[in-house]
Amino acid sequence: MIGQGTVEELQLAGAELAGMVGRPAQSYWSESVERLRANHIGMAAGYLILFLAVVAVMAPLASQFVTHYDPTKQDLYSQFLGPGRQHWLGADETGRDTFTRLVWGARVSLGVGFLTVAMQIVVGGGVGLLAGFFGGWIDNLLMRIVDMVLAIPAIFLFILMSILFTPNTLTLSMIIASVGWGGVARLVRGETLSVRGRDFMLATRSLGASNLRLMLRHLLPNVLPVMIVAASLGVGAIILAEAALDFLGFGIHPPTASWGNMLSNAQTYFAHSIWLVIFPGIMIFVTVLAANLFGNAVRDAFDPRLR
Amino acid sequence: MLAKFVLRRALAAIPVVVGVTVITFVLMHSTAGAYVPGLSLNPNLTAAQVSLLRSQLGLDQPLWIQYLDWTGVAWLMQHAGLGGLLVGAHDITPGMLEGSFGQSMVDGTAVSSQVFDRLPNTILLTVTAILIGIVLSIPLGVIAATRRGTRTDHVLTGVSVAGVAVPQFWLGLLLILLFSVQLHAWGLPFLPSGGVMTPFTGGDMIDRLAHLLMPATVLSFVYLAIWSRFTRSSMVEVLSQDYVRTARAKGMGDRRVRYVHALRNAIIPLVTLVGLELPGLVSGALVVEVVFSWPGIGLLAYQRALAYDYTMVLGIVTFASILVVAGNLIADLMYAVLDPRIRLA
Repeated sequence: MIGQGTVEELQLAGAELAGMVGRPAQSYWSESVERLRANHIGMAAGYLILFLAVVAVMAPLASQFVTHYDPTKQDLYSQFLGPGRQHWLGADETGRDTFTRLVWGARVSLGVGFLTVAMQIVVGGGVGLLAGFFGGWIDNLLMRIVDMVLAIPAIFLFILMSILFTPNTLTLSMIIASVGWGGVARLVRGETLSVRGRDFMLATRSLGASNLRLMLRHLLPNVLPVMIVAASLGVGAIILAEAALDFLGFGIHPPTASWGNMLSNAQTYFAHSIWLVIFPGIMIFVTVLAANLFGNAVRDAFDPRLR
Repeated sequence: MLAKFVLRRALAAIPVVVGVTVITFVLMHSTAGAYVPGLSLNPNLTAAQVSLLRSQLGLDQPLWIQYLDWTGVAWLMQHAGLGGLLVGAHDITPGMLEGSFGQSMVDGTAVSSQVFDRLPNTILLTVTAILIGIVLSIPLGVIAATRRGTRTDHVLTGVSVAGVAVPQFWLGLLLILLFSVQLHAWGLPFLPSGGVMTPFTGGDMIDRLAHLLMPATVLSFVYLAIWSRFTRSSMVEVLSQDYVRTARAKGMGDRRVRYVHALRNAIIPLVTLVGLELPGLVSGALVVEVVFSWPGIGLLAYQRALAYDYTMVLGIVTFASILVVAGNLIADLMYAVLDPRIRLA
């Protein structure tokens, strides 16, 4: 694995060698991206997630031009109307259009998924870097905090905190990330420990590099692959956790549509209106499946420990 | 050596438990500090009655005294002659020291008695699910490994990838819809949709098993998905080992090679994986318990959280967290006994 600061020199050396070895020199990053692209299932899953993200961002446009319904508009004439020409995927107990609500629900699921991952990577990565780099009592203190956070069963902590804060996309992400950062911190710390002892770190330090420069310019690029892998593997689990919280009533509250609270709502009526249960569940399942498949592909392509 | 390892691990667990109690206590009391249940329902309460209620619940004491009282440290201090330090405290109880974890704000029942009432149900559910997971995942993993690259393998891998992505509550609803609602509608024998047994008339073995079947299946699904994949990759690795080739070369039957020589070594790492589930034994089933109205710890916490019964939720969370720390400790010790290399690390 190559630190970013040294990439150019090594590439120069590689170019001279290229003729002899018979394979052009390639940076770690371009090689990983190439591997990822070769994984067709993973790429298809990635494009699906991208598509869902675009749909989520475009939800207002979609409900205006594609489905022609408002996600919270009630219409008692189409109460429990089955899937058909008027409502493609049926309507719920107040006649709200299921398809429109699913489109808006994507905003919640994907929004929380990406926001949470971003937060836990930044916080967990930061803590892991600090703990691994400085070691000693800083390491001890930070890792004991991680132990404590991870010792409280996550679902209870989520419930406790959602009583405390009014859940919306942002606070819900913070709630889920407040547990998720612990795992990332452990992972990044471990990787940092293994990189810290390498010769190039000693060499850079002896050239007079400051701690900050060592961490950001030399350590970070080397632990970045682990963070990327953790991030892409995390999204699926977060979307599942968020949906479960919505379902339990500790997440996004109605009338805002989310896949989880649509399912929770459908519990009352599912004996006669099965589509209310089927479609939100399929959306969660497909999204999580795609996120996991893409995550696995990213891991196979990027994880230095698998090489 | 082993005794030293045990002691070191146990000592390291103490600050974690203390930290956990502080975190949950502060979280809970940031919401519940000024709260007296039933207040909003009753406009006839006078200010004097409210302050009496708050005094009875101990909410008029400083936060740190409430914490010390709850954990039992205050009681210890009082008996060590340090009671003078506890300015503004009253009605000091042994708290957690007598295993009480506090009492409900709503109905005054002890958290511990509620928890121990529900604990057997939760343990029954999770242990059954883990057993189903083990019993099914090992054969499936072995089949996939021995037929590597065939259609069977691809289907099994696909199923296990999908298994991790299915929301438990959705799977539960679908099963209820099929096995309780539809079978009932068609006039066929059907499964009960919730509870641990039929009230009044039920309670025999068959009735209990019928109630257990669906929630345990849903809960085991994730285990099944993860463990069968793990068994497969572990088995694939073992099957390429020299001693397997030696066994084959000396003319041993395929079946015997696979199940006696290879499988035994392949499932050792699975012990670790199953051990990882130990801490989640109590809290991992919350969603399933809610869907199937299974009267376990998870359902209790869920119902009490909805009723804003802060002290009860606090007690349950603390209890569950202590079990997590204990579970981790037991898992650590198990590995140390199984694998001597760990003790030295």
